[in-house]
Amino acid sequence: MLFDQAIDIPECLNAEALTVSLMGEKARYSLRLKSADVSAIKKASGLKLPAKIMGASHGKDVTCAKLGPDEWIVIADPVQKPKLDKALAKVSKDFTCSVTDISHRNVGFGITGADAAKLINVGCPLDLSLEKFPVGKAVRTLFESASILLIRTDEQSFHMECWRSFGPYLRDFFARVVTTR
Amino acid sequence: MSAFRKTGRGRVDASKVINFTFDGKSYQGVQGDTVASALLANGNHLMGRSFKYHRPRGVLGAGWEEPNALIAVDRGKGRVTPNVRATTQEIYEGLKAESQNRSPNLKFDMGAFNNAFSMFFPAGFYNKTFMWPKSFWDKVYEPFIRNMAGLGPAPDADDPDVYASVYGHCETLIIGAGPAGIAAALAAAKNGERIILVDENAQMGGSLLSTPSIEIDGKPAGKWLETSLKALAKAENVTLMTRTTATGYYHDNFVALAERITHHVPNAEIGKVREALHRIRAGKVILAQGGIERPLVFNGNDRPGVMLASAAQTYLGEYGVAVGNEVAVFTSHDSAYQAAFDVADANTRIAAIIDVRGTIRDDLIMGATERGIKVIKSAAITKTFGKLRVKACEVYEPESGNKTKLNCDAILMSGGWTPSLHLWSHSKGGIKWDADLAAYIPDAPNENAVCIGACNGDFGIAAALSAGHKAGGGRKTYKTNETDFGTGLVLSSLPSYLDSSKQKAFVDFQNDVTEKDIKLAVSEGFKSIEHVKRYTTNGMATDQGKTSNLNALEIASKAVGKPIEKVGLTTFRPPYTPTTFGTFTGYRDNELFDPTRKTPIDPWAEANGAAFEPVGHWRRAWYFPKEGEDMHAAVARECKATRDSLGIFDASTLGKIEVVGPDAAKFMNLMYTNPWSKLPVLGCRYGLMCREDGYIYDDGVVGRMAEDRFHVTTTTGGAPRVYRHMEDYLQTEFPELDVWLTSTTEQWAVIAINGPNARKLIEPFVEGIDLSADSFPHMTLREGKICGVPTRLFRVSFTGELGFEINVPAHYGRMVWETLFEEGQKYDICPYGTETMHVLRAEKGFIIVGQDTDGTVTAHDAGMSWAVSKKKRDFVGKRSLARPDLVAEGRKQLIGLLTEDSKEVLEEGAQIVEDPNQPIPMDMLGHVTSSYWSESLGRSIAMAVVRDGFNRMGETLNIPMPDKVIKAKVVKPVFYDPKGERLNVV
Repeated sequence: MLFDQAIDIPECLNAEALTVSLMGEKARYSLRLKSADVSAIKKASGLKLPAKIMGASHGKDVTCAKLGPDEWIVIADPVQKPKLDKALAKVSKDFTCSVTDISHRNVGFGITGADAAKLINVGCPLDLSLEKFPVGKAVRTLFESASILLIRTDEQSFHMECWRSFGPYLRDFFARVVTTR
Repeated sequence: MSAFRKTGRGRVDASKVINFTFDGKSYQGVQGDTVASALLANGNHLMGRSFKYHRPRGVLGAGWEEPNALIAVDRGKGRVTPNVRATTQEIYEGLKAESQNRSPNLKFDMGAFNNAFSMFFPAGFYNKTFMWPKSFWDKVYEPFIRNMAGLGPAPDADDPDVYASVYGHCETLIIGAGPAGIAAALAAAKNGERIILVDENAQMGGSLLSTPSIEIDGKPAGKWLETSLKALAKAENVTLMTRTTATGYYHDNFVALAERITHHVPNAEIGKVREALHRIRAGKVILAQGGIERPLVFNGNDRPGVMLASAAQTYLGEYGVAVGNEVAVFTSHDSAYQAAFDVADANTRIAAIIDVRGTIRDDLIMGATERGIKVIKSAAITKTFGKLRVKACEVYEPESGNKTKLNCDAILMSGGWTPSLHLWSHSKGGIKWDADLAAYIPDAPNENAVCIGACNGDFGIAAALSAGHKAGGGRKTYKTNETDFGTGLVLSSLPSYLDSSKQKAFVDFQNDVTEKDIKLAVSEGFKSIEHVKRYTTNGMATDQGKTSNLNALEIASKAVGKPIEKVGLTTFRPPYTPTTFGTFTGYRDNELFDPTRKTPIDPWAEANGAAFEPVGHWRRAWYFPKEGEDMHAAVARECKATRDSLGIFDASTLGKIEVVGPDAAKFMNLMYTNPWSKLPVLGCRYGLMCREDGYIYDDGVVGRMAEDRFHVTTTTGGAPRVYRHMEDYLQTEFPELDVWLTSTTEQWAVIAINGPNARKLIEPFVEGIDLSADSFPHMTLREGKICGVPTRLFRVSFTGELGFEINVPAHYGRMVWETLFEEGQKYDICPYGTETMHVLRAEKGFIIVGQDTDGTVTAHDAGMSWAVSKKKRDFVGKRSLARPDLVAEGRKQLIGLLTEDSKEVLEEGAQIVEDPNQPIPMDMLGHVTSSYWSESLGRSIAMAVVRDGFNRMGETLNIPMPDKVIKAKVVKPVFYDPKGERLNVV
């Protein structure tokens, strides 16, 4: 067993109107950039860095989200990692910025189905209606006592991330909600 | 059909009979009944005993304001709910209800002796009586008060039920689904925005449920209600919630809704949600909470059978239950006449309407005359008779002095109406006194909120409907055929010939506060209503004075001799009605109470029998006992194995912060006491961090990955606060620096390998790093690969042995650990936990921040002046370190202690003195901070902070314990390998 996120998803989380799955390996980077450099860095790295806080861009294998005035997170398929490592190393060298590999800091959950927003609203105080939280929106927020990153990937699907050690807590929370409803 | 059930009346389904028990006795009710309505239908008025005097009590009301009829609902072990209002608990097949506050039973209650001696229990009785003698407190008074205090059975087992919580959002939240709330929803639903309409009862409708004779726009009220609710249920943007109480109204239109999901369901399954807390953020809140009728304060007003007039109307209109055969009505308000007419129209005899007023509206007199009801004007009830149920009352006419005894088996009273301002007040909405209503009504809002209908002081159904429609954005004016709701007269005391000290005229029924108590409080100097409340306990019971606050205010204001507005109104606080702890807890019990963070290696530790200890949110392997070992034996073995050959330790919980940017070294210089500019790339340094006050805050090894990149480690528990501390200074004090912080605690799994064979173990797995002592010296780091995955490999030691800390990306942690553990069998590798780590570091005199320091220890006090740069111009805490008290001689300083008896292990926290023969309190020099059995040294060791410790080397100090005094010698706190030679094993 090489790659181990140590989270089993119980059977109950594969329900009719609600599926929670654990995402596999991802490449993740935290970028802290000066706003003056952003367009140049976009060009240099090829990353579609969104300009608006809580905005996100979704390529085939790469998602970029802006979480704060100077902070972006890049989440990519691991096949992209060598390419991204190289591109971001160059960014790191050429610009005054911070690039940190956080690939293993997080685990990701895919939450899908008609009840997806309802499940997330058990612990997340944000308004998840489509008007207030449209597809593509990305925020750093809370699910009860865990800090999470929440991205809406389509009307009934969310990508939720948390630090690795909080994963089982979220998983247990989801399972409790589903089995007791 | 039971004696008091009226055929053709009420909304209950008389064809569905439901069996339940009350105090073990079987009763029958029908579908739609509450416990109270079913008991009344059986002619049973006695439902509880009062709190203080244990007086027999029946229902006062018919809803959530009920102060008297409190029951415990017993659903088996751990599932007993106390203090449930019988008036709101719906019956279901097999329901088991028990009365409270009585012994041995409701009809014969030993506690009622308090009633006989009530003259000795005035307001403030406890405060006055239990003051002396002081020695009586522990043995006599406190046990007595504890026994008397509290209502209902306390839980004696864990609650097996499940509770839920969820967040929700809407543009309009409407609280209360009476005519006002429903009309508001109908109007608001049209704009398509999200609307939530909640009602605490099983059915929506409010007063419309008990007034079937009313016609709205020519349609019977019942029909109008049915049509309206159907339309709302169909609207996709409207959510209807019944059995849901808005318990609290918080900032920014954040409202807590407590939903009772299975309280009315027989044999509700354990493991499914019983109650849910909905935390709603609303754009606008429409409060349509209605009003509560006020009791009249007269002698004997608490006898079972005496109740609010509106309650009788509800029991009849909603449940089809007559509250008696011969009913007296006592009122100071017009609305009681309609109640009396309803009751009379259902063929119950009205003994008389006794009105304190001299002038009464003509149409009311006419209505009474038509029904043959006698109206006695300018009169009052001055006595009631009967033991467990009223059987007669005495009517007193002050003008003539006549006293007449009137037979009756129920008395309906009405002292006017109080708008329900509870939630409005939670929201900090303003209130103003309305002299006509003799009540407070809403003034300026503090949130985007509006009060409509009775809770705004607008009584009557047509008024409520129209106000509701307007609040919902509509313009409709409704017409009804109701009798004018009318007005009343509020008197601070009713006419009576009896001496007020002889009367038992109850104001607060639940806490047994009488008119006399409130007058007494005022006469004893309590002038503010808040003080009167606390002295008398008026309004402090579980009902928060819903029926008593205004009566108490009237009485107090007259006694004080000031207008009511000057006496004030007590504050309403959430929850609106008693709410279970389960609702507040929601899902967050047991494993969901708080996250337990586990490391990548935790599953291995669990599989290998580790004992765990919590460190902050983390659980860490504490020690790894083998069969038959206790902690002491396991730790001794782990220590020895590590020093003799090889130990492996999971250090993943160490906090890690990546400090990156061209100004990284500058920032590090400011945040840590040590100098960083000259630390070469791939060098490591122990870092010490102070707060502004100069005391030690955190520590850890820092590696320089590049000119502009530091890998900072913090203590496990300190990680979040160090990150916040750094970020705080970066943003507020040093915003000009080009440097950024990223938490990488969880990016890296950290495996510490310690012992003479450490290098040999890892050598075969490492790629791209020369591990030889010369090219990879102590306190440096390298990047390369281990077991095929990238690593940041630190050569550091927290044990004094040759040591490596292997950082690998977290999801690979377990694989690397298991690979090394397997290979380590060659060297008898020993996994060890935090306890062994603590012993090994103590042997070397390394401090643990938070154990050997307590927020008042400076680097100098800890013997670590070497870690404080003297050259740096500034760092956080530098100026404080020059404070006179921090440079003074004789501060408490960290030293080592060796007990005279080498087998004696000191207790951590034990106080240290010079002369143990001093009388207590002795002059204390300090205390033991760390103390262990050292297997390597074959003796105990300890660290302590001691006044002027550095100057006491060689002195013998005393540690007094309960059974003996332990002597120990002051030494330097480095017990093992003081020259550090073991680090250099080749």
